[in-house]
Amino acid sequence: MTEESDSPMTDTDSTTTGPLVPEDITADSPFTLPGFFAALAEGRLVAARCTECDTHLLPPRPACYGCGSRAVTLSEQPRTGEVISYTSVNRPPSAFDHLAPITVAVVELDSSARLTGRVDASLEDVTIGDRVELQVRDPETVDIDPDFGLSYEEEWPIHVFELI
Amino acid sequence: MSTAHLIAVGSSPLGKTDLPGRDLFSKALAEAFEGLPDPADVVDGLYVGAQSERYENQIMQGTLMAEWAGLRNVPAERVEACAAAGALALKNAVRDVRAGVHDAVLACGVEKMTAGGTEGATNALGAAFERALEQRSGITAPATYALLARRYLHETDATERDLAKIAVKNHQNAVANPRAMFQQAVDIETAMDAPDVAPPLKLYDCAPVTDGAAAVVVANDEVAADLQSRPDTVRVAGVGSAANNLAVAERDLTFVEGANVAASTAYEDAGVDAADIDVAEVHDAFTVCEALLAEAAEFAPKGRGIETVEDPEDRSAGWTDVQINTSGGLKARGHPIGATGLLQAVEAYEQLTGRAGERQVADADTALLINEGGVADAHTVAHVLTAQ
Repeated sequence: MTEESDSPMTDTDSTTTGPLVPEDITADSPFTLPGFFAALAEGRLVAARCTECDTHLLPPRPACYGCGSRAVTLSEQPRTGEVISYTSVNRPPSAFDHLAPITVAVVELDSSARLTGRVDASLEDVTIGDRVELQVRDPETVDIDPDFGLSYEEEWPIHVFELI
Repeated sequence: MSTAHLIAVGSSPLGKTDLPGRDLFSKALAEAFEGLPDPADVVDGLYVGAQSERYENQIMQGTLMAEWAGLRNVPAERVEACAAAGALALKNAVRDVRAGVHDAVLACGVEKMTAGGTEGATNALGAAFERALEQRSGITAPATYALLARRYLHETDATERDLAKIAVKNHQNAVANPRAMFQQAVDIETAMDAPDVAPPLKLYDCAPVTDGAAAVVVANDEVAADLQSRPDTVRVAGVGSAANNLAVAERDLTFVEGANVAASTAYEDAGVDAADIDVAEVHDAFTVCEALLAEAAEFAPKGRGIETVEDPEDRSAGWTDVQINTSGGLKARGHPIGATGLLQAVEAYEQLTGRAGERQVADADTALLINEGGVADAHTVAHVLTAQ
């Protein structure tokens, strides 16, 4: 993880627990996938952060896999981070054929949250430690076979990293 | 608590075959029950490990396998944890026998992976990975393991050549295994020169797409004594399992903690420790897994698992003398997903009963099996088996 952080993480939720009652589990809440992707479509990458052990959970979920606590809060994430590992998918699932070879990476954001994503660069241009920035793309602009998506995923944006 | 014994094992041919899944199962069952009464007179329950219904468009595998074995109106359940399904079937059978729920249970696994070609297998296996962020980024099984391998090579002294040595060793072991899909040696230069699949993983770092089935009979003391004329059953002495992260991004890329927990639990259950293990079948779906699992099983110090490819007398102090993947492992014996955990049990059974032929490890009396599903130890099932 790097020292500098041009878009520091901020907790967006003043509460210190995730959803504990059934009524709190709604498609508006970033603790569910529809809520998470709705925020992402607006440019906000939201993780859950455990207030007990500081583990980041991406996408957000109601409990921390690190320590078991449900004292988790929503936390808007920085869009920048660095490549922790990377490879190239030479024979992707058939829906992604047109994109092959696909460079993918595990990225650690400046908050320490991690996520996997495509990197908009060829394999030879990527190495561990490279700085990247998250971009959010409309699913219709990404050349993935529409049949791949489930009905509820149709509006969900696709994320991709660009080298910076 | 009853003791659980493995009293009979069988497997189908492994590779690209002309037989559908149920017929592969029939092959494995026929071998397991050679010289035994009918399955219906021996077992009163069944578990079948099967990864995906996408290969043959068939769920209800428990019912189907029970019918094909002549079992009627008994519990018969399919279990699923991607490539850990086979050991999960074994674990459930052992649990039932130990608890006295059943006197004997059939644990089996089957996968007809070639039914939809490479594309069908890629798509079916892709379902084992996290959907929202990772599947939607186009990842595949080789790619998720390549992400582990890249980081492992970055953090340790291991090289791509060290990973290739694992494949070379496992192919060499498979030469002496008549069950193996690839009964042929591969030299290190061939492995190093092979095409990239997902860099740094090349063709020989990856287990093949395999059709196959396996079946083992798990029984209590009484059934084992009734059916075995010589004292060559194998005791299931320890069981452990654990689930870890589904998303590769959120897991530790260079330590398989869940596998360590599963193996440690199985050791404790069996009253053994890592140094007692003579032979181990560990889940080398990709070469890097064997290194990671050697560390998780405490056969080698962290970050140094690659040295277990050396003969025991050539290893440094701090490494145990275990022989890993004497069957050829997933790489060379073959990897029919839902059957793999049971193929591991077949090899341990043969090693512990002195039936392993030219690959027999002298004085082998304790074995560890580690079967995994999802990326690395997203799900791990470990068993310790001992000779009687």
